[in-house]
Amino acid sequence: MEAHNRPGAREAIFAQLVDAGRTEQVTIRLTDAIILGVLAPDERLPSESDLARRFGVALITVREGLAVLRDAGLVETRRGRGGGSFVMKADAPHSTLVQARLHGLAQVDLSDMAVHFATIVEGCAQRAALRASEPDSDRLDLWLRGADFATVAGARTNAGGFYLELAVLSQSARLVRELIRLQAEFGPLLLLGMTDARARRSLLASNQAIAGAVRANDAAAARQFATEQVRSLAEWLLNAKARVERGGAWDA
Amino acid sequence: MPEISQLPEVTISDCAAAVTASFADAFAELDGWRNELAGGETSVRPTDLDAHVEGLVIPALTGASPLFVGAGFIAAPGYVHGRDIHFAWWLGPQAGNPLLGSSSAATRLDFAARAYTDYVRDFRTLEWYQVPQSTNQTHVTGPYVDRLCTCEYIFTLTMPVRIGEGTPMLGVVGADISVRRLESIVLPLFLAADRPLALVNAVDRVVISTDPTVQVGQLASHSGDSVACSGLPFRVLVGPDRLPRF
Repeated sequence: MEAHNRPGAREAIFAQLVDAGRTEQVTIRLTDAIILGVLAPDERLPSESDLARRFGVALITVREGLAVLRDAGLVETRRGRGGGSFVMKADAPHSTLVQARLHGLAQVDLSDMAVHFATIVEGCAQRAALRASEPDSDRLDLWLRGADFATVAGARTNAGGFYLELAVLSQSARLVRELIRLQAEFGPLLLLGMTDARARRSLLASNQAIAGAVRANDAAAARQFATEQVRSLAEWLLNAKARVERGGAWDA
Repeated sequence: MPEISQLPEVTISDCAAAVTASFADAFAELDGWRNELAGGETSVRPTDLDAHVEGLVIPALTGASPLFVGAGFIAAPGYVHGRDIHFAWWLGPQAGNPLLGSSSAATRLDFAARAYTDYVRDFRTLEWYQVPQSTNQTHVTGPYVDRLCTCEYIFTLTMPVRIGEGTPMLGVVGADISVRRLESIVLPLFLAADRPLALVNAVDRVVISTDPTVQVGQLASHSGDSVACSGLPFRVLVGPDRLPRF
């Protein structure tokens, strides 16, 4: 029955905005997307001014970030009409960069990101099951039937696409926005395991189970399947991290 | 309960009529665009069409209290020279949009970007295109969270554009209107009614409610009276049931 006000919620209002190391943030965001296969070789990035607007940073920050990517051989800048920054075709998969990225992230942070991501996806799945109409369920099934989970690139794109569909069915603009932000930050890493054919099949089966629970308006089941799905993706990621730390290859 | 009241009573029909009236400006705007665009040509150059649409929609997207959050024209296949798909769509000023950032001016949506390609490929099967095409009537899609552009809870209004009756559809003019805007117009009236009310769409999704146990975005269940909103796929439920699931 204790009723005094704890400081948490009030202080959070004034918490520092993400501000420090903006060039680094731009670099990490684009590097992850490229080395983890969300951006495809030869794909053109949005223009510098467009990137600046979307990231909410100064033009110079975007230019600095792109310069780092160019030096790393991840993008090239083409001049003239139809020019811009393009994702470089890698001779080999970016294994060394993925190793370095996994090594550079602490286990405790990877686990924590997975908790955050799972919490949002669970909430989306639960609300989607509570709120989906029959036409919504039909559309979700149709979407899932048309989505490619057989190829690595397809599974990476469509895994994120399915989360977004669930968020939309929750009818919450805030959940949609939060999911988009989280996917931008953590999605590519979490989906590292999509190189594994068994992991892809298991993800598709899990998505089908979630869609079934949504149709049945079974919120508890939808939530449970979402929990298990993100846990299994996180386990794959943490295993890869452990392999790297033991001196092996992340995808061995 | 008093049988006779001296105060003017707000009836359920008043509320339903207010919802219909609140869409009148929007439909009038779309109707004006439709007349402008049904110019008698059976095909058009993309640059000419884009300039024409931009001139029409920008005033409705900018200014102190813009009517729409997004608007434009989506061409039927073949109407625009050499193009199976052509979207001429603009968004109003954005603040902190997770996809598009912030902008103080209206911006054109680039549907060539990869994120949109899957969506665009199937546009003919989507409700906001398919329904006006098959019924030749204005249609209201939603409410839904627009994950492609605004990331807001919106309705999409679409109206078919034809040169004459029985001719093929040239495309649809459309506009996105936020649920927030509708609420600001009609909620005071809903609150003045003497019973709890909920405005729902065709699948009984709640848009506006004066019963806190029945919240926006939920599916309402209902066994009592209701009044349809003329010209819209909405109705006002009287005393919506407390929901078994939330």
